Amino acid sequence: MTTFLQSVLNGFAQGSIYALLALGYVMIYKATHVISFAQPALMVCGGLFAYHATSVFELPFWPALIVAIIAGALLGMLVERLALRPMVGKPVFTLAIITIGVDIVLRIFANRYMGPDPRSVPYPGGSNRLEFWGLSISHQRLGLIVVTAVTVAALAMFFRYAKTGLAMRATALNQETALAQGIRVGTMFALAWAIAGGLAAIAGTFVAATGAGMEQNTWIIALKALPAIIIGGLDSIPGAVIGGLAVGLVESITAVYQPDVAPWLGNNFALVAPYALMFLVLLVKPYGLFGTKEVERV
Amino acid sequence: MKQHRKLARVVAGAAVAALVLTGCRGGGDEDSASGPGITEEACPDAVNKDNGCIYLGAISDLTKGPFAPLAVPITDAQKAFWKKVNEDGGVGGFDVNIDKYIADAEYNPEIHNKKYQEMRNDVLALGQTLGSSQTLAILEDMKADDVIGVPASWNSAWDFEDQILQSGANYCFEAMNGVDWAVANRGVKGKVLAIHYPNDYGGDAAAGVEAAAKANNLDFKAVETATGQDNQAGAVAAVLKEKPDLVYVTTGPAEMATILGGAAAQGWKGTVVGSSPTWNPALLQTEAAPALEAMYFQAGPWGPWGTESDGHKAMRDALAEVDSPSDGYTAGWVWEYPLLAALKAAADMDGGVTRENVVKAAKDLDSVDYEGMLPDDAFNQTGEANDVAWRQSVISKVDKEAPTGVSIAEEMKAGPTAEGYDYTEPCFALN
Repeated sequence: MTTFLQSVLNGFAQGSIYALLALGYVMIYKATHVISFAQPALMVCGGLFAYHATSVFELPFWPALIVAIIAGALLGMLVERLALRPMVGKPVFTLAIITIGVDIVLRIFANRYMGPDPRSVPYPGGSNRLEFWGLSISHQRLGLIVVTAVTVAALAMFFRYAKTGLAMRATALNQETALAQGIRVGTMFALAWAIAGGLAAIAGTFVAATGAGMEQNTWIIALKALPAIIIGGLDSIPGAVIGGLAVGLVESITAVYQPDVAPWLGNNFALVAPYALMFLVLLVKPYGLFGTKEVERV
Repeated sequence: MKQHRKLARVVAGAAVAALVLTGCRGGGDEDSASGPGITEEACPDAVNKDNGCIYLGAISDLTKGPFAPLAVPITDAQKAFWKKVNEDGGVGGFDVNIDKYIADAEYNPEIHNKKYQEMRNDVLALGQTLGSSQTLAILEDMKADDVIGVPASWNSAWDFEDQILQSGANYCFEAMNGVDWAVANRGVKGKVLAIHYPNDYGGDAAAGVEAAAKANNLDFKAVETATGQDNQAGAVAAVLKEKPDLVYVTTGPAEMATILGGAAAQGWKGTVVGSSPTWNPALLQTEAAPALEAMYFQAGPWGPWGTESDGHKAMRDALAEVDSPSDGYTAGWVWEYPLLAALKAAADMDGGVTRENVVKAAKDLDSVDYEGMLPDDAFNQTGEANDVAWRQSVISKVDKEAPTGVSIAEEMKAGPTAEGYDYTEPCFALN
């Protein structure tokens, strides 16, 4: 039982990263109906902003995280303004391809900055552990779970109570109607990208604070948020959180039990388990667990 | 007028044909005195303007592959090595250039092969071919081309290949020595877990761990793990489940730190010995640093950067401007000595330095002057692998004060398993 609970705890920690990234994908999708493939680069840049803040400006972790969030949000807005805004009205597929280009360009700059060595953000007491009921979790992972929970709660309140949040929801629902109500749709797009950039920066900072830090191929982590948003539903904020956590849990539990329970699945099946879960969910709920069913008039 | 037109067409046709034929010749320097990869013209930015030029290739992992943190210093050290050779006068009237043909193969066998095809007509030999599977991907072409290569890997298969000039004990013997050392010095007596990449690098070391586990009556289990820090959940889970006394890791540095850090964060206490490429001093800046200091040891082929020997000193002098020393530099430097010996021997042969003579000279090398970085007899191509293969390793411990973050815990030595190993074939079959 302890083994199971420990793997659940580990899954929650890893799933928190995926949830933050998945939220970013969903924010942009809801606002613009574009799947942003630039999220991996935004995550890497966010981690490097935090690294720069801690190593060059010698800031402690928490102020560095704030700096990374602000810089990540500004970067997100910049990407939207320079690469996406001029393409408004073009087919969604075209915009998605543009985000791939943005991702490549940003990662080229990030890789040049990073060089071949890993870049790590020191977390206060990161290697210390909290132990309870036979379970163990590092302070860094605990911090990640707490920060994710606070971020999700803050976002939920923002969309429920803040005027701007309501305006963003209105824009996501129908852009023309939102325009007619005096909402500046372009600003809402920029805000969606800013929030996505900030969320990616939180994820990137915690990735850089984990294990061996941020490397040139760390961006691949962000791709695991893709099954998360499919599982949760492309346009669902709660779905992104639940999908992200589900991917982390499935990965962690599969890693522990699959070698004994189903060794015939081969080594490292945990790596594909999230995609298997995605496939199963799509069989039952083609729009994801919480996605909006599309109805088209024919 | 008509005749003029006809003549013009013939001339134009001949010109186009000449152009096409010239293009079809490829990039080789076939008009040079001695064949591909060697010219009578001086090297670009030559140290000795009167010397000809020998071009060496380097196919490395310089950006996004798992060994980039090591491969960049390896390559820089090799540039510095040949610069020093040139400053000492060159080899047989030639300077040696390894700067012009450097390729990044991203630790990918297919890209490795592509990069070799691009340079195969332009280089005399490969001063670096990084990776076991990667080198295997070009080995047959190298044989067909009479090109020798210096591997940036230590695979037991290379002890059975004449055209691969390997220095130091291979991963297999290194692993045997690592396990024997842990049994003698860390009280390991129960279970040993080999966590490794599912490739020739990982397989070779795992075979050595298995042999040593058997010799020491330890339980053995192997777990394959993929590249990427985010893919280590299975390896961490295996450590926590199996609770081994010793984990022998054969991955990249980041993966090793992730596995060790992840298992330690969940309460596992034991010993981790890593193959030589698992260490990067930059790991001391990561979250895993305390766990590394407490539990990690490196099995390696020679003493680290700070070791006292003439060769180490020459290397440190040549790389004096390096801000962050790394044992990637040490490896890159040591690996070039056999190639230098082969070039020197070929220069004394009839016909001078040619691909064929370099291959012949390399086959006849029964010792190499490593300037004390390794014993001279650590390199011997003239006998059966079982008789001449080098079996000794160094064990290093994490030492924050040392230039590369590790210092020697046990001097160069072959453990009982490696000493007694019947070495009639590679530990792990390359495929």
